[in-house]
Amino acid sequence: MPGAGAEGLRGWGRVERDDGPKAARDHSWAARLHRLWMVTGGVTDVTAMADHVYALLLAEPEVLAVVGTRWTGGELRYTRRLTSGTRPVTEVAEDGTKSAGAARRPDSSDPAAHGPAVVDRLLPDGEGDFAPEHRLLSDAGAAAALECRFVLGENDWATLSVGLAVPVGPDDPLRQRLTQVCDVLVAINRRIVDVRAHERRQVEEAFLAEASFLMDESLDIEETLSRVARLAVPAVAEGCVVHLFQPDGRLVPVARAHVAATAQDWLSEVTRRDTWTGDTLRRVMRGRTGVVLREAELAGGPFGAATDGPGRLVRAVSVSPLRARARALGTLTFLFQRTDEDISGLRMLDDLARRAALAIDTSTSYELRRRHVAQLQRHLLPPALPSPRGLELSAAYAVADASLDVGGDFYDAVQRGDEVALFIGDVCGRGAEAAAMTGLARHTLRTLLEDGAAPGRALERLNQALLREKVSRFVTALVTLLVPDGDGYLLHTACAGHPPPMVLRADGDVAEVHVSGVLMGVLDGHRYRTATVRLNPGDTVVMFTDGLTEARDAGGVMFETRLVDAVRRCGAARGAVAEHLVGMAADFRASGDDDTAVLVARVTERS
Amino acid sequence: MLEGARRIDPGSVLVVEDSQEDAEAIQRALSSTHPALRLEFVHRGEGVVDALLASDVLPGLVLLDLNMPGMDGHGLLGALRARPEFRDVTLVVFTSSTAPAEVDRCYAAGADSYIYKPVNFTLFRTVLKGAVDYWQQSRAQAVPEPPEGSDGSTK
Repeated sequence: MPGAGAEGLRGWGRVERDDGPKAARDHSWAARLHRLWMVTGGVTDVTAMADHVYALLLAEPEVLAVVGTRWTGGELRYTRRLTSGTRPVTEVAEDGTKSAGAARRPDSSDPAAHGPAVVDRLLPDGEGDFAPEHRLLSDAGAAAALECRFVLGENDWATLSVGLAVPVGPDDPLRQRLTQVCDVLVAINRRIVDVRAHERRQVEEAFLAEASFLMDESLDIEETLSRVARLAVPAVAEGCVVHLFQPDGRLVPVARAHVAATAQDWLSEVTRRDTWTGDTLRRVMRGRTGVVLREAELAGGPFGAATDGPGRLVRAVSVSPLRARARALGTLTFLFQRTDEDISGLRMLDDLARRAALAIDTSTSYELRRRHVAQLQRHLLPPALPSPRGLELSAAYAVADASLDVGGDFYDAVQRGDEVALFIGDVCGRGAEAAAMTGLARHTLRTLLEDGAAPGRALERLNQALLREKVSRFVTALVTLLVPDGDGYLLHTACAGHPPPMVLRADGDVAEVHVSGVLMGVLDGHRYRTATVRLNPGDTVVMFTDGLTEARDAGGVMFETRLVDAVRRCGAARGAVAEHLVGMAADFRASGDDDTAVLVARVTERS
Repeated sequence: MLEGARRIDPGSVLVVEDSQEDAEAIQRALSSTHPALRLEFVHRGEGVVDALLASDVLPGLVLLDLNMPGMDGHGLLGALRARPEFRDVTLVVFTSSTAPAEVDRCYAAGADSYIYKPVNFTLFRTVLKGAVDYWQQSRAQAVPEPPEGSDGSTK
């Protein structure tokens, strides 16, 4: 803007603050153009500049009228006009004029080099491609016009024309002034577009950050997706639906959110049943990237102006595939009621879909693994305990939270005539090998005890078997045999490196059974001693693995220190003593991630 | 029009928000995206129903926080929806939880929208703009006369 500097700045204070006669003093073009610049600060849309721009041009003595047009592609978006008789700037209703928009497209190959281009128009020559301006300027009494064309964006351009009583000469300053005004408009528009793009990026980044946080926070797929969908509405779109493939191949909506409460159920229903939607989702699923469908592309479906349901206001629908590790998981769909410029780019939508797919994949893998572990674990534990007369048996098993591996705890109960043998044990370590050894230990002990082996003898035989197999892991175990003795039982116990059992007397007294022995898989030919105590009616024996005693609270205190008290309280509560004890340890536990098994026998009154 | 039905002013929004910080953010966001909206703020749920009953003109939209001391958002939601006089007032819950159970509870209680309140201000503004735009557009489509916001400048 040559000449806009010093003179404009000098005139600024007076002119802006005083509309009185003094304001007229600095009426130079440079000062007025500068004022135009100054009012652009808070403008968020280039069209909001019309009043200032048109008035500035109409103030030029030769100008009878100002007409502006805005074009998208070859289509006329709007026409605005200002004449001395039509203040303020008004939008002109379309009169059906067929406009030769494409022919008037400015050269946008290098806008920096070309800038706004000025074209001379002689109105008596006829309309030609100068519609709708020709009629509007002629109506205002103009015989000639200067037209300036400028580019605002891709496929987006505008013209600004001034109507004149007579043509102006090639050196007339009006040509330059018209160009300068258009320069201002181009610059403002660029600034507005940049600010908007920057804001949208900020919004998208903030949204992706919050969504990622939600997705990392939980492994419950449907709940996480519901939360992400909620977050997306209306941050990204007015409606959001996530579809996932089911094991039977159906694509089913598992999460949805809509700004309007009443539209949510409709959204679920329509995306579950509508054929067009189903076909569209499957088509996108076959591709790599998502799609955004607008207007005619929505034809045949439940969305868009041509429909009459709640989907009537939907302007666009985006669908992005959810894929992880080359596997199709489902789709992420957004419904947009907002205008095009507020619709996020496909890149961001696909990015969100990629992150969601990864989160789903992680959760699914986890869930599958968890199921396998639980299944395997069940095979390593007895399906049910026997119900011998005179004894109440209970058992409980808690899988450590943070772990996905099969733990090495095992237990079982064998009834042989009037006698009942109980055992509990722990294979060091976790995983497939530990699981295999757990199976070996449990079945070996069970077979030996079924064949009538005494507790110590059973442990010796298992020890030999483990050494023979050259296993690299140690096994601890506790075997007890309950033999009827009058109205109670004799409890024979042998121990291989395992925590000894606790006996809870009917009067509430709790004592450990004094028995010990080395763990198995270490010493060949080791002999295991047997300790014997008597259990009277109402007495209870509690066997457990070290996951119970080693549970720690937040202060690092072990559950072991509370065990005596806990056993007493559980015994007093009756019912499923083992379950109760495991529950108490779980409530206590802040750390310690070992599995926990508890096996309990209580002597009842024998009739 | 219903006996006793009050005129709805679509250009007016009542914000029920106990956090001063959030109230200021709402003010800042809506005054930049919808400068023509008239905002009124109250800091507690108590008294809102009575104040609205005593008023000739109802706000087009009530933006309400869920977690407030005293009568919380759930309580206010229920109290507003229990009054047929307020049935055309749009109730938008604006809260920092995305828990599906919370959403279901609010929708069951008659909320028109449940909007998550993000931490990032630009996102916060976008979300509020999205909700207000949606309801202005929907109400304009549902009731052809007068168009939403058309009387905004005449008072």
